[in-house]
Amino acid sequence: MDMPMWMKITWAAIMLFFIIRMIPVAKDWLQNGPKGSSKEWMTSAMLLGGVVAFVGLLIMLVRSS
Amino acid sequence: MSKSSPFPTSAESALSTNKVLRNTYALLSMTLLFSAAMAVLSIALGIPRGAAMICTFAAIGLVWFVLPRVEESSAGIFVVFAFTGLLGIGLGPMLQAYLSMSNGPTLIATSLGGTGAIFLALSGYVLTTKKDFSFMGGFLFVGLIVVFAAALLNIFLAIPALSLAVSSGIILVMSGLILFDTSRIINGGETNYVRATVSMFLNLYNIFTSLLHILGIMDD
Repeated sequence: MDMPMWMKITWAAIMLFFIIRMIPVAKDWLQNGPKGSSKEWMTSAMLLGGVVAFVGLLIMLVRSS
Repeated sequence: MSKSSPFPTSAESALSTNKVLRNTYALLSMTLLFSAAMAVLSIALGIPRGAAMICTFAAIGLVWFVLPRVEESSAGIFVVFAFTGLLGIGLGPMLQAYLSMSNGPTLIATSLGGTGAIFLALSGYVLTTKKDFSFMGGFLFVGLIVVFAAALLNIFLAIPALSLAVSSGIILVMSGLILFDTSRIINGGETNYVRATVSMFLNLYNIFTSLLHILGIMDD
């Protein structure tokens, strides 16, 4: 679906505004936020890996139907 | 004369966390139903794409400029319903486009079920283990900026592979945010259930639309 130019420009402006608002938040979390141990990062990587595997499974289900 | 401490005891803190969690899930389920009803209404009325887009812009405006002023009062609940309802109306034309595909209803049902399963699994994991995922904050916010910058670029470039990469990135970041948001509620980092509901709703909304996009492309 191709968007008219006014929609593209409005979406781009909204996204740019969002990115500008997010930069200080991300900076603050990176500098002052809690730091995780390698074990904690491993746990979150495994959970997100599970999500990737699940999405892969859904793709296979849809393609086979 | 007894003096009350300004700091909550652990029992008081646990009670208040429980209340935020209960209220968040209650408001989340009501707003999800309301948003779905608005999406069905939008399809039934055949809302045009331009009008749907304006509803989505209005929803973003509500959450950026109005909600921060009323989130501590009961008016915040009405703003959340207006926000989720507008997003539901905004979904109408996209769902209509998928419904007109031969495999459309299956794609929508799979995306809906997949989103629910991802939310239940991740949120359930945090609720049962009570682990703190606030350490992911910096990583997730940087991820969000990267994904939005790529999406912004792709509005004008319209590269299908980049579009697929953006949708995959959104699913990963939003899944991480489910862990982050749930753990913040449990560990007392988020005490406002209106704000927590909006965050969780946005996580689910973005996972659903991105999953639908990926499944739609892969089905072709």
